[in-house]
Amino acid sequence: MQDGLERVARIMGQLATAALWVAGAALALMTAVIAAQVVFRYGLNSSLIWSEPFAIILMGWFIFLGAAVGIREGYHLSFDILIYILPRRAKLWLFSISDMAVTGFGMGMVWFGSQLAGSAWNIKLPSLGITGAIDFAPIVGGGVLIVLFSLERLARRAAGLPTSRFGDTAEAV
Amino acid sequence: MELWVLFGTFATLLLIGTPVAFCLGISALATVIFMDLPPVVVFQRVNSGVSVFALMAIPFFIFAGELMVRGDIARRLVALAGGLVGHMRGGLGQVNISASILFGGISGSAAADASAIGGLMIPQMKERGYGVDYAVNVTVVSSIIALMIPPSHNMIIYSIAGGGRISIADLFTAGILPGLMLAVSLMVAAWLVAARRGYPTEPFPGFRALGGLLLNAVPGLLLILIIFIGVRSGVFTASESSCIAAVYALLITVFAYRTMNWSNFVAATFAAVRTTAMVLMVIGCAAAFGWLLAILKVPTTMIEVMKGFSDNPIVILLLINLLLIFLGTFMDMSPLIVITTPIFLPVATAFGVDPVHFGVIMVLNLGIGLCTPPVGAVLFVGCAVGKIGVGQVLKTIWPFYGAAFATLMLVTYIPALSLWLPSIFR
Repeated sequence: MQDGLERVARIMGQLATAALWVAGAALALMTAVIAAQVVFRYGLNSSLIWSEPFAIILMGWFIFLGAAVGIREGYHLSFDILIYILPRRAKLWLFSISDMAVTGFGMGMVWFGSQLAGSAWNIKLPSLGITGAIDFAPIVGGGVLIVLFSLERLARRAAGLPTSRFGDTAEAV
Repeated sequence: MELWVLFGTFATLLLIGTPVAFCLGISALATVIFMDLPPVVVFQRVNSGVSVFALMAIPFFIFAGELMVRGDIARRLVALAGGLVGHMRGGLGQVNISASILFGGISGSAAADASAIGGLMIPQMKERGYGVDYAVNVTVVSSIIALMIPPSHNMIIYSIAGGGRISIADLFTAGILPGLMLAVSLMVAAWLVAARRGYPTEPFPGFRALGGLLLNAVPGLLLILIIFIGVRSGVFTASESSCIAAVYALLITVFAYRTMNWSNFVAATFAAVRTTAMVLMVIGCAAAFGWLLAILKVPTTMIEVMKGFSDNPIVILLLINLLLIFLGTFMDMSPLIVITTPIFLPVATAFGVDPVHFGVIMVLNLGIGLCTPPVGAVLFVGCAVGKIGVGQVLKTIWPFYGAAFATLMLVTYIPALSLWLPSIFR
């Protein structure tokens, strides 16, 4: 069981790293797109019509992918006062209930996100000239990873392996 | 009953350690299911909540700040501050506080301020014979200044949480005087404590050397000018200005300071992704939560409750302040802004408080909460940098808490402190 989970951890780790690189690339690209928008509008006096909607889609990708990686790395903001004073066993149970709730929400992101994408399938975005379903791709993609990473947490805890705690590395902003 | 489901689920999840973003999303989902509405609405709200152009300023400002911090900007700012105020009583304490003012113009994050400036100042202060508790006290409380001086992405979060109609340019301008006032009151506290403990001062380096230090820091400090002029003049939107800030930060650290290499760049990008994804996920889920609050008429009920309590705005503001301080000791700043703004802002405006003024009160108030136990991210960062226990720091932090709280009261009850500067620019 534990060997299998270590193998899973390697794969999930690679997945998280890949997601982080995609998210990072999306942030860098978004910066370039809006910088181009500024140059075109104020420098060349001609507006880019696709820059804002495109940048918003990029932002969606890095938010939902970044939020999913946060589940695995434990950098989400949380509140852990009650957790401190409880005995270890109770604590682990509560963490598992929390992970199950997050899994459920991730499934909702995938299911209902796909539904929204389906209903926008035939709408063509005027500025980008592609299907409106693209607006909902990030929430579905992020949802898939949130489900995977939460399930990994549940499995690891059931096998007695450590999982990262929320709030451990949280940065105040 | 719907309210019980909403707040009950939220509180339960929060207490068992679920990330705040998901507490908001899941409790909204549970309530929608309970009300027999289609669950898809929740996800639609979450998605539209993060698909807002104005939100983009948050990742850009955080990105710019990360690039500057990794590009070694903090050392130059500390050096400049050292030349300016090192010769005053409580020398390095004053340097620490002044560096936070300069740093606030680069980054709007209190935690980044505490780790960047604390990392440089605390060891230096130890070496010169300052108590570690004093060094950490000054570092932690002065990092609130970074939240008040533009660019402050928390002000943008407030503007968006308030419905997006509160001018970001006004909020940025409104934070300046209160931020400087906080700095002055902390410098007085640092002066008094240093005088009692007999801490040393640094020699004045002379105007020639000071000029050199200034020249060194200027490219970084120009950032605040670019942002401020861009947003204030209305030529650029806040999102565009912040994007220019990020590009400028990259150019400066690569070409002028030559401190940015590929691995630093990747580290800065990843750090920005982590922080922004966390904050914006909270904002997205709060959009669903806030939509339910409006449907369930929570803000209007809250106004009635508060009016039943007192009809005096002074009392109401004190009440809101105390409530926010209390909540702030337990929770982080950005989730609190997105959760409490839709509830308290209508109350405040109903009592005649200007939304811009209220934003400044809220950011300052919750900034103090970042420095208080049991949950105080900035306090923990400071203690970790100084390698000292939280309990030891708390024994002597009171003069600094006192100075911050006094500033909060002045800012709360003298609206002109926040509203005068924006009124000149308008």
